[in-house]
Amino acid sequence: MIDPITIEIIRHGLLSACEEMARNLCRTSYNTVVYEIHDYGVGVHDHNGDIVADAPGIAVFTRGNDYGIKRSIEFLGKEAMKPGDIFLNNYPYWSSAHTLDPLIFAPVHVDGELVGFASCRVHVLDLKQKDPGYVLDSTDMYQEGIFFPVVKLYREGEICDDIFNIVRFNSRLPNHTIGDLQAQVSAVVTGVRRAQEIASKFGTDVLMEAMTAINDHGERLALAALQRMPKGTWSAVDYVDHDGVDLDKLVKMAVTITITDEEMVVDWTESADDVRGPINLPRGMTEAFNCLIFKALTTPDTGVTAGNFRPLRIITKEGSVMHAVPPMPTFTLWTGLLGGEVMLRALAKGMPDRVPACSGGDVCSVMALGHNPRTGGPWLEATNDAVGFGAHAGGDGEDGIMHLTEPGCRNNPVEVLEVKGPMLIESYGYRTDTGGLGRYRGGVGVSRVYRFNAPTTAISILYKTKSAPWGINGGGKGDPNHIVLNPGTEEEERKGGSYNILPEDTVLANNTGGGGGWGNPRERDPELVARDVRNGFVSPESAERDYGVALAPDALTVDEAATASLRA
Amino acid sequence: MGKTRLAVDVGGTFTDVVRLDDDGALLFEKVPTTPAEPTLGVIDSFVKAEADLADTSLFTHGTTLGLNALLTRTGARTAVIATDGFRDVFLLGRTDREGNYNILYRKPAALVERRDTFGVRGRMLFDGTVHAEFDEGHARQVAEAVRDGGYRSAAVAFLHSYANPDHERAMREVLSEVAPGVEVSLSSDLSREYREYERTSTTVLDAYIKPIMRTYLYDMENRLAAEDFAGEFLMMRSGGGAMTALAAREQPVNLVLSGPAGGVIGAANFSRLAGEPNLITVDMGGTSLDASLVIDGRPVLYQGANFEGLPINTTSLYIHTIGAGGGSIVWVDEAGGLQVGPQSAGADPGPASYGAGGEDPTFTDAALVVGYLGPETPLGGTLALDEDLARRALRPLAEQMGMSVENLASGVVRISATKVAGAVRSITIELGRDPKDFALLAFGGAGGIVAVDVAQQLGMRKVIIPPGQGAFSAFGMLLTDVQHDLAQTSVTGLSELDVERLESVYAEMADEAGRLLEAEGFEPSRHQLTRAVDLRYTGQEHTVSVHLPDDVEDPLGFLAEKFAEMHKQHYGHILTDPVQVTTFRLSATGVVDKPRLPVREARADGGLRPLGVRTVITEAGEARGETSVYARDDLFAGDFIAGPAVIVEHTATTVIHEGDALEVGEHGELIITLGGGEQ
Repeated sequence: MIDPITIEIIRHGLLSACEEMARNLCRTSYNTVVYEIHDYGVGVHDHNGDIVADAPGIAVFTRGNDYGIKRSIEFLGKEAMKPGDIFLNNYPYWSSAHTLDPLIFAPVHVDGELVGFASCRVHVLDLKQKDPGYVLDSTDMYQEGIFFPVVKLYREGEICDDIFNIVRFNSRLPNHTIGDLQAQVSAVVTGVRRAQEIASKFGTDVLMEAMTAINDHGERLALAALQRMPKGTWSAVDYVDHDGVDLDKLVKMAVTITITDEEMVVDWTESADDVRGPINLPRGMTEAFNCLIFKALTTPDTGVTAGNFRPLRIITKEGSVMHAVPPMPTFTLWTGLLGGEVMLRALAKGMPDRVPACSGGDVCSVMALGHNPRTGGPWLEATNDAVGFGAHAGGDGEDGIMHLTEPGCRNNPVEVLEVKGPMLIESYGYRTDTGGLGRYRGGVGVSRVYRFNAPTTAISILYKTKSAPWGINGGGKGDPNHIVLNPGTEEEERKGGSYNILPEDTVLANNTGGGGGWGNPRERDPELVARDVRNGFVSPESAERDYGVALAPDALTVDEAATASLRA
Repeated sequence: MGKTRLAVDVGGTFTDVVRLDDDGALLFEKVPTTPAEPTLGVIDSFVKAEADLADTSLFTHGTTLGLNALLTRTGARTAVIATDGFRDVFLLGRTDREGNYNILYRKPAALVERRDTFGVRGRMLFDGTVHAEFDEGHARQVAEAVRDGGYRSAAVAFLHSYANPDHERAMREVLSEVAPGVEVSLSSDLSREYREYERTSTTVLDAYIKPIMRTYLYDMENRLAAEDFAGEFLMMRSGGGAMTALAAREQPVNLVLSGPAGGVIGAANFSRLAGEPNLITVDMGGTSLDASLVIDGRPVLYQGANFEGLPINTTSLYIHTIGAGGGSIVWVDEAGGLQVGPQSAGADPGPASYGAGGEDPTFTDAALVVGYLGPETPLGGTLALDEDLARRALRPLAEQMGMSVENLASGVVRISATKVAGAVRSITIELGRDPKDFALLAFGGAGGIVAVDVAQQLGMRKVIIPPGQGAFSAFGMLLTDVQHDLAQTSVTGLSELDVERLESVYAEMADEAGRLLEAEGFEPSRHQLTRAVDLRYTGQEHTVSVHLPDDVEDPLGFLAEKFAEMHKQHYGHILTDPVQVTTFRLSATGVVDKPRLPVREARADGGLRPLGVRTVITEAGEARGETSVYARDDLFAGDFIAGPAVIVEHTATTVIHEGDALEVGEHGELIITLGGGEQ
């Protein structure tokens, strides 16, 4: 049997390989979505595709790469995978994300034997999807871009020009897209080389045994955590604004979670049937976001291994919004960003002291593109913006922080956006009074106001504007996210997710949501309320009306007598 | 003015002093650090080293005072002044968070509250043109609020000030008039690169420690003057080299990460002496390990350092720190996985074998059981290690893991080496280098214990242990030159750049560098200017910095060729896209006379004899009884030792394995060749 010290040494070696893959990727990638926002996932997997080590990227890709590799093995068979091959898979029903999140992976062979895989996924900018940038209203999968159903980018070490040529002639941004694919290739080549080095040092059998042991260890950690959690069954429901096509119809996400000592069962079968628009999820994406929440609840402090998720069982109904089947459209994926919070909402009923209230909930993305008069060429820039976190039993929700599905993501700086696109950002900052009231306050959202200096297509991608972020234990709701076109003018229009073709000089405010509160706001420490007022997170009016806290005329200190009578 | 040189390195617990006399005599001493009155410990160290300041030509100083003010949030009350509408840039940051699965995340305590942030009307555009004029009336209102709000310091960071600093300079004027007692830091003085948060954060850190650092440096200068010191007073910089105390008062943010700098500078100098242009340095102490690189005899610098996630946008030495040291605690997680660190037993109570009440088993305890450390060789001169206590601390874990104490101990040492190797690999790969092309220079109390294992894992053939490895960092300070980093951001296609333009940009920077160095007393013969150009493929963000020698005939062709070469080397591919220049950099050095490193004499007579033999546990867990133990003081230049062997000295230990060969170099350094076998 393999000894625990060798396992630990191999684990460090694989983690270090993943870190190296991510560093290579970030430095060579061509688009800001990867190198500024860290929208990627990298991993090293065992010979079945189960992940053994990863590098932190976008959390909602958790285990998405596993799913893609497993489907690829099913389709091609392991024997079709040769040393030096590098595969591209962006077929959503296999890759577990949309067409623009291609999975690139390579088998790791040692002496002709397949011992594992290295994988890398990033968001690329264009693969002939129906609209530039992003797709919000496809009605079948064939509108969502060109599919590469596990094709060889490299065949036994030789580049397949055919595939690169197909990309070149099917992308609106061929240089960027090919550059990013190359960056992914360079990442997986690094992963393969490192895994091979480990195999040659310790022996192939030892490496494979260690991979198994690492996953077994990950499972034991998750089980130990599960055993400490309350047991029971709880349900919750929330809604996606619409499916992108039928704009007036809410889409139901319904979950029932059962926890026992042995497993957590997450049942989504009461959710809506599949819908006309592209917010349906392929099963792989549903698994990925369920894994993200499960990991956060059980083993948040250790690296991702497939074993962590063995005690998680996910039940979905084929033909539903949580388990779409071809040729249903799936491009937007947003159900996967909102669904995790529904799981937390269910769990709040059984363990209100362990989970946060709802966050401002969504990644609040704005993608803008058009013709840049300064350069004479096309431009495209995107940024996600932060939301307020939900409050919890231990304290306030953080103000303005990236959604729980994308912790590694960073906002795109004002100066970078203005250098690259024809726009002026007029302001960027916290939104007062948007956090849910409570003994612990929900975090506030942020607002970024754009003025476009040229005709611009501005795609607002947010789907949680109609159902407000909920509180826990009597905590209040957060202000939901939304955009406002032409604020303060007669044409002012408040909207949710939308594809907007805007004339020159249009103003767009991206206002992100605040998190829900926790507990009774009248029990909040008045000093904390006074501090919130001083810092402009809470208005003096809200302090008095909602928290029952009166401030002295200097607005800095609590008027204790007046507060006592307000709270009486 | 005499010829003695002094270096004083103030750490959290101890202050190291090194005195080098003109005759080459070298003295190392240590005194306690005095946090309550910081200058006192420095003066104490002068006394302990019997230094005559009137006879001292150069005093080089490193202090963690600024860093500690940041760590303990005890810096100045600081106002952050931003462009109107953007006061939240600093507190928002990049809105990312640590820990992919922490859904209850809270940021670390901020240096300022939101009420301390202000906006002033006036707006620059990305190309430096004015979109809205600076609103002086509004600026005055803000300056009054700063004056009346009890602020001691103000950080001014306006949008696009890297392209045009006029509004920031106008704000400084207003502040100096309205709020004259307030220290002011401008983002455009500290960094000329875009990304508002990174520049703002740099400025806030500078402003936050400025009053403390200014007071300290004034005090220090007065104390030195009182001792009739008439030499040069230099401060260590985060970005390598030193800066005059005068310059340090203006931009103290440059001192924040200077802690490990002495070791890296020492390494760069040592690399020239030893004829090893490429070194990886590993400085392993009690709590943490700092790894860095020397390439072509120069330390590696980068942009992108941070303090607790707050970016510092000035040039810094490229140093990677991990929680691996002698005090790293060994533990088993709830699923039976063996872990080493990052928690540390620190110096108090320290490892179990110190016998000071520590019960957690640590790396040091494991190294003692393995036989790398020994009870007969006192640690740090006075402390004797107790192997029974080490075994007692390790035994419960060994039983839990179902293995012998010896096997566990050997595993702990190997796991630690693996972690160090991972840290080294990650910094080399970031630069697209292969560790195999480097020699490993290891120092610090524990560096020599893992050095050979780390080198072996990375495929490196050569390890060097410098003389005085326990105090090498303070020693490195003695070798430090004065340095200024100038940069000019100008995003241009390489094909659109002409040689005249390139030369004129550098001529301008060279003029400025010359003025700076002359003002600091360096005559032109002591100026050394090094040019580098940051290049990238159009569309990429990250750049490759290409060193541009002065004597290149076709500089543009040279840049294109070197860029392609480096890109290919780093990333395995080159592209047909056009290449862009982003930043011209000039590193200006005022060369300080280098002291002569003492030469270790050759053995006059007799042979080298070990102190004794010790039982050492091999990787396989077998005991090997015949491992020789040598005292480093007994080694002379040219001595040769075949592994396995353990070499002990005052504050450190070096381990070599069977098949390795050790030779003592000209300055007493230990040169280890892995697999070097018999001579």
